[in-house]
Amino acid sequence: MSAEKKTDFHVVNHSLPRRDGRVKVTGKAQYVADLRLIGMAYAKVLRSTYAHAKIISIDKSRAEARPGVYCVVTGYDLEGLSPYYGHAVKDHPLLAIDKVRYAGEPVAAVVAVDERTAFEALEFIDVKYEELKAVFTPAEALAEDAPLLHERQFEAGALRGFEGEVSAGKGTNICQTHKIQWGDVDKAFKEAAAVVEGNYYFPMTYAYAMEPYVAVAEVNDQDVTIYSSAQHPFMVRHDLKSVFNLPVSSVRLIVPFVGGGYGSKSYTKIEPLVAACSWKAKRPVKLQLTVEEAMLTTRSDDAYTWMRTAADANGKIIARQAKIVMNTGAYAENSPLVVEKSTNRCVGPYAIPNVLIENSSLYTNTVPASSYRGFGCAQVTLPGESQIDELAAKIGKDPYEFRLANAAKPGEEFFPGMRPFDGTLKQDLETAAKAIGWGKPLPKGHGRTVACSGSDAGAYPLTSTAIRVHADGSVTIMTGSTELGQGSHTVLPQIAAEELGIPFEKVRVVSSDTAITPYDRSTGASRTTTLMGTAVLEASREAIQQMVVMAADVLKVKIEQVRVVRGGVRCGEAQLKWSEVISKFYALPDGEVIGRAYIRKSGKFSALPVFWETAATGVEISVDEETGKITMEKLATVGDVGLAINPALAEGQDIGAATMGMGIGLFEELVYEGSQLVNGSILDYRLPRFSDLPKEVELHLVQNQDGVGPYGAKGGGEASLNSMAANIANAVDRAVGVRIRQAPLTPERIWRAMKEKRDKG
Amino acid sequence: MLGELGDKARLYAGGTELLLAMKHDLLRYEHLIDVKTISDLNKIELKNGSLMIGSTVTHRALERSPVVKENLPVLAQMETNVANVRVRASGTLGGNLCFAEPHSDPATLLLALGARAHVQGKAGSKTVGIDKLITGAYETSLASDELLVGVEIPIPTKSKQAAYLKFQLHERPTLGLALVLDVDGDNVTTATAVVGSVSTVPTQSGKANSILVGSKAQIEKQLPDAAEALAEAADPVDDLEGSAEYKCHLIRVFLKRAFSQALS
Repeated sequence: MSAEKKTDFHVVNHSLPRRDGRVKVTGKAQYVADLRLIGMAYAKVLRSTYAHAKIISIDKSRAEARPGVYCVVTGYDLEGLSPYYGHAVKDHPLLAIDKVRYAGEPVAAVVAVDERTAFEALEFIDVKYEELKAVFTPAEALAEDAPLLHERQFEAGALRGFEGEVSAGKGTNICQTHKIQWGDVDKAFKEAAAVVEGNYYFPMTYAYAMEPYVAVAEVNDQDVTIYSSAQHPFMVRHDLKSVFNLPVSSVRLIVPFVGGGYGSKSYTKIEPLVAACSWKAKRPVKLQLTVEEAMLTTRSDDAYTWMRTAADANGKIIARQAKIVMNTGAYAENSPLVVEKSTNRCVGPYAIPNVLIENSSLYTNTVPASSYRGFGCAQVTLPGESQIDELAAKIGKDPYEFRLANAAKPGEEFFPGMRPFDGTLKQDLETAAKAIGWGKPLPKGHGRTVACSGSDAGAYPLTSTAIRVHADGSVTIMTGSTELGQGSHTVLPQIAAEELGIPFEKVRVVSSDTAITPYDRSTGASRTTTLMGTAVLEASREAIQQMVVMAADVLKVKIEQVRVVRGGVRCGEAQLKWSEVISKFYALPDGEVIGRAYIRKSGKFSALPVFWETAATGVEISVDEETGKITMEKLATVGDVGLAINPALAEGQDIGAATMGMGIGLFEELVYEGSQLVNGSILDYRLPRFSDLPKEVELHLVQNQDGVGPYGAKGGGEASLNSMAANIANAVDRAVGVRIRQAPLTPERIWRAMKEKRDKG
Repeated sequence: MLGELGDKARLYAGGTELLLAMKHDLLRYEHLIDVKTISDLNKIELKNGSLMIGSTVTHRALERSPVVKENLPVLAQMETNVANVRVRASGTLGGNLCFAEPHSDPATLLLALGARAHVQGKAGSKTVGIDKLITGAYETSLASDELLVGVEIPIPTKSKQAAYLKFQLHERPTLGLALVLDVDGDNVTTATAVVGSVSTVPTQSGKANSILVGSKAQIEKQLPDAAEALAEAADPVDDLEGSAEYKCHLIRVFLKRAFSQALS
């Protein structure tokens, strides 16, 4: 429970309009794509057509001879650079070297006067390949005669951020393994009153940010400057510092507005490639991927899960066991951490005394998988929350009551060694159930369910910030957190305005320029409000402390005599606003005070996770029994966010996440046929449309101020995604009596399951 | 111009299909000849009991046209559900037919309505049925110097009932099904069922059409047989939209639904 349970908020906990709303809807917001530097050239990428092949030779002479082409860069032109990068392990060459590992992998880049010229030159690059046997699924990658994707040992990525060893590079295709265990699973399953067991598949999906990857690089002998659509500029800075072997101070990452991330823009993507292009071409270079190329850059890990769950005669969950195999694609990216997190997240927010979860991820000749909103949780919540419903049915309990009876309780250490549970699942589930009309009669072909999830947020507490209080009382926040659309440019000023007692309108944000803004580890894992929010709060208070000292100096009194009031100080009859403190201190209406804060894994942030990201969702669906098509009748989201700094933005995150989860439940799946991704285009990859939105939507927040963040806030914005596929699968079962253990639940899959059931009689 | 530039040029109307294909480098042309500049191709007129629709008339114009709504409501209703409003606002009927994308809603319905395509070439003009215009996936019978001027759709007589239904999961329909019935009391005297999107071109089946003739009660019993004949003629393909088996099932479902909608 947070010490600062305050409720009389002036700015915080108010749904102020988002800061970036007007410029974005009027088309005036600047993204990297809008940027043009003097002398800037444009790059286009030649991609492998083979899934797995040796590169025998690359002849770029015809392409380089074309008018308007500055240079062609290949993996063989990188002498002087360290061309392998990677956050977990350095397994990823910025352009293919010696061999290609998936169809779509960058093999060469043309740098030219304009994009069209660069594009037209691509077909004049002659690459000779010798095709190798390829593997596309974990089962194929595990086969005895499977070809090895990576032959060499890797250097560890220095910014790993997770506890276990990385398994990659040990002579197999295994990229990562992870295991958690407590209690005695075998014994528990033997003694169980009821057991459910099944195999589940969660598909490869693409996060589909509206803005595909884009970066502009300007590299000279001393410095690397990159403008990028990256979520985590400081992480990317680290990889570039290593690629170019430069001091941190010589690498500058600048991130303007980002057109959506959803995890897909976490960590380094195209930045080393575009930097190498600029280094070779000796001029600024822009690389703007198409949506189709972005789909060849990253995706979520698909997961094959075998799981069983047991209950005793009293309806208490006594054991869960799972074996998960994830398909991580050609390079590790951030997937080793996804493996670790999805292992943990199998437990769900339930107190289960006997647990054994084994997880591994395999390299395959497919698009590399990495972070994706929910971060491994949705993959295992499909089996996890499906089995809660299946088990409830088996022992004749109402699935909602069954959840209430088994959900982790506030303060319960349901996951040994981790922070005690900081959410209120009972209230979350009750709110969701009430919102969708739990227990009320339903028409035939309709199904109604609730589900929940609780993730050990991967938010690592390493963050700093500076708050500049200007002599007129206005404020600039210097933050390394990136505005991805999640609302950090609105929420952080709300916190500063609350603390300093100044109007929200007087607070501005400068963000994500590694040369200017203090270090922030990432803009991911729903961490910004909790960690950067705390940093802003503490920096504001530190500025206040400085201004108290300055006020004492100005008023010629002792520091103890100065009392802080809203927006300034008082000492006896004298009252000074911050602007007066600063301008009197400097004896000019100018100057500033800089408040600072450093957050590390210590104090209230010493226990991990920093917070449990918790939400419940409820749905009502109907199924067209002839076609198998699902219609979303109702959706309820309940974000257990501690305190919403901006409730409208928090709810917006929840409906966004739930809609994304609904997309996976209903339509989304990257499909491989042989070596090729066959629906990797804006036309063929089916996303939710406005017409797919549930007919009725209720958005709720549970605000018990039980988080460690500012005023009891904690992270949100991902959790509503996690339970949606399971919710839809459970609702289909209740609507038409078929259990589908695979997402998406396409009409054909439902029709087929119903047909099989009928055929069996 | 087309004769002069040959293969380097392509006629262009709404661009909703062509420009997309060019953007993906599936097609390359040095010149696009904008047929929207030809006057009179954007008209919707009633002439001799037929609706004459110029080839540059947009889907949106058809959807909103009072003449279409009054005389051929099934066409307006079909157009309302073509793609999305941005595509409908720039995409044209002529462009849609000439691109011969296998998932075309208009091609399926127009074939069922007995529409005729008016084609103008250097050598003169001719009129062909939709099935003679669209010969395969992305293939038409148009010569390189020919232009689709418009289509002529006979206004159905009062005794005729029509329905167009589609089933859509992705960007393009999985199935489109058009049914035109000539009804006399409790009997159907002629029937045309056309299924589109499930295979390369919109398809009808003489056998299915004949099964759909007779007393309404009897036809209702025979609908599965008619669907089977139609599915056999269409020979659906397995693709990302669904398996051939599922599409055959959908033909059964939607023929039944179209039949009851046409008669309601």
